[in-house]
Amino acid sequence: MAEQWTLHVGPGAPNDPVFVGVGELPTGKFPDRGFIEALTKVALLALKDAGMAPKDVDTILLIPNLHGAADQADLVFSRMVEELGIHGSCKSSYMVHSGGSTSDNAVRSAHGLITAGHAQTVLVLQAERWGSADLNEMITMLSKNGIPGEWELPTGTQFNAIGAMITRRYMHASGSTPEEMASICVTLRNWANLNENAMFYRKPLTVEQILASRMVADPLHSYECPPMADGACAFVMTTSENARKRGITNAVRVAGSGGCVSHYCLSQERDQAVLGWPLAAERAWNQSGWGPQDADIAQIYDSYAAVTAIAIEGIGICEKGEGARWFAAGHGNPGGKLPMNTNGGLLSAGHTGVGGGTALLVEGIRQLLHRAPAKRQVEDCQRAIIGGSGGSYMDAQILLLERTKLGA
Amino acid sequence: MNTPKIVADFRAGLASGKLLIQNCSDCGKPNMWPRYACPHCQSDNLGWVESAGQGTLHTFCVLRQGAPEGFEEDLPYAIGVVKLDEGVQLLVRLEPDAPDDWSSYRCDDRVSFVAVDAEQIERRPCARFRRLAA
Repeated sequence: MAEQWTLHVGPGAPNDPVFVGVGELPTGKFPDRGFIEALTKVALLALKDAGMAPKDVDTILLIPNLHGAADQADLVFSRMVEELGIHGSCKSSYMVHSGGSTSDNAVRSAHGLITAGHAQTVLVLQAERWGSADLNEMITMLSKNGIPGEWELPTGTQFNAIGAMITRRYMHASGSTPEEMASICVTLRNWANLNENAMFYRKPLTVEQILASRMVADPLHSYECPPMADGACAFVMTTSENARKRGITNAVRVAGSGGCVSHYCLSQERDQAVLGWPLAAERAWNQSGWGPQDADIAQIYDSYAAVTAIAIEGIGICEKGEGARWFAAGHGNPGGKLPMNTNGGLLSAGHTGVGGGTALLVEGIRQLLHRAPAKRQVEDCQRAIIGGSGGSYMDAQILLLERTKLGA
Repeated sequence: MNTPKIVADFRAGLASGKLLIQNCSDCGKPNMWPRYACPHCQSDNLGWVESAGQGTLHTFCVLRQGAPEGFEEDLPYAIGVVKLDEGVQLLVRLEPDAPDDWSSYRCDDRVSFVAVDAEQIERRPCARFRRLAA
């Protein structure tokens, strides 16, 4: 039994943090779109969506890029404050980083800052240029992220090998077939076909095509590996009081969160078909007071199909061992019983490094704000499960978000 | 930076044909990977024991493309996670059944440590395991 932690702020409280706007640029290969250009544009999109201007922001949280150290330094040393023209008035600008789960931790950080009064309005910014970067350089860089150089790098492991090992264990433990695993990728593609910002918009995909694609790291085929992409996302959080004053009547709040850091090296995980999800979920349900049956959508990290199947089992969306078959039955599809990764996820909207999780989160907020394009907006969307994971799936992070009325 | 002593000692073990497990001289528990303080009792009174080299294969994969820099010529190669009978786990290279063929391997197979010469360990300082016939 997980411990009971309560949030120190509730719905309607003046300092209850709420999401009021999101922004996103198209994901894919955009070699002519500069890094600072992308960050600036996406920041302005999110602020416009929130009905705000840069001067309304007092704190910027930066989600890192993985494509280059020079751009990272620009983020760390507050370049965006100056680009947005809020130097002088901006109180704080800093980076949050835990790999793929960064966006979940950025929300926790912003939530804490706002609740406690350290910040009123927080702008969270992310951009990545993985699609335009040198592929070999990125493979080598990724072999040093979440992989201990002295102990595991000598085996020649890398990110697809990690995904493949988790997939192999998951298939062994659950008895899932290659067809059932591939059906997860097809569900994601079905959603990407409704998302003009997705890298694979209007590029239908079948189980047969996936299984006919070349083997990259047995049992993973190339169409089951995440496509590296350029992308940018942003979101704005503020106090309920400030949102209300600005005339915002509907927003999105954090009902609770739960997390579990289960390992650093993949080799130290006791059960790769389980990971940290069951404990993270128990903590999240305890804090929010709701359960998996209460959600209208789920946005769960999907760098590999097995990662998502394992997560939905741990979260309790389906029975243990049934994650892949849950997708094969169409339950996560448009019109299915729990729409899953409605932007197309990392596997079909594009893997933007640390930003893949941010894009899933931003889509969850967008759905709860009822601002998704009509063709993929989930009707009366009130509650969303957001799930993230980083590194060698070292952690399982869950945010439970709900639509909230702010009143007059 | 010089190679830390715990890394050098572990690799020296591999080079002499031994799989070493760090063992806490105070609480007696095995640690893998080796640590700078015992994660169970925080002691720095740490030594080594030789593993019996027997274990179970939790999972594995065969990497066919996209090797990290410097590993291209090894392709294809198989890596896996072994749960040693001593209760600790590690990432290893798996020996093929035949050249470029790992088709006999399954999760939960019994596997055994394979000693290789010092030259091979110098080039790839990692443990190698092979599937035991059922």
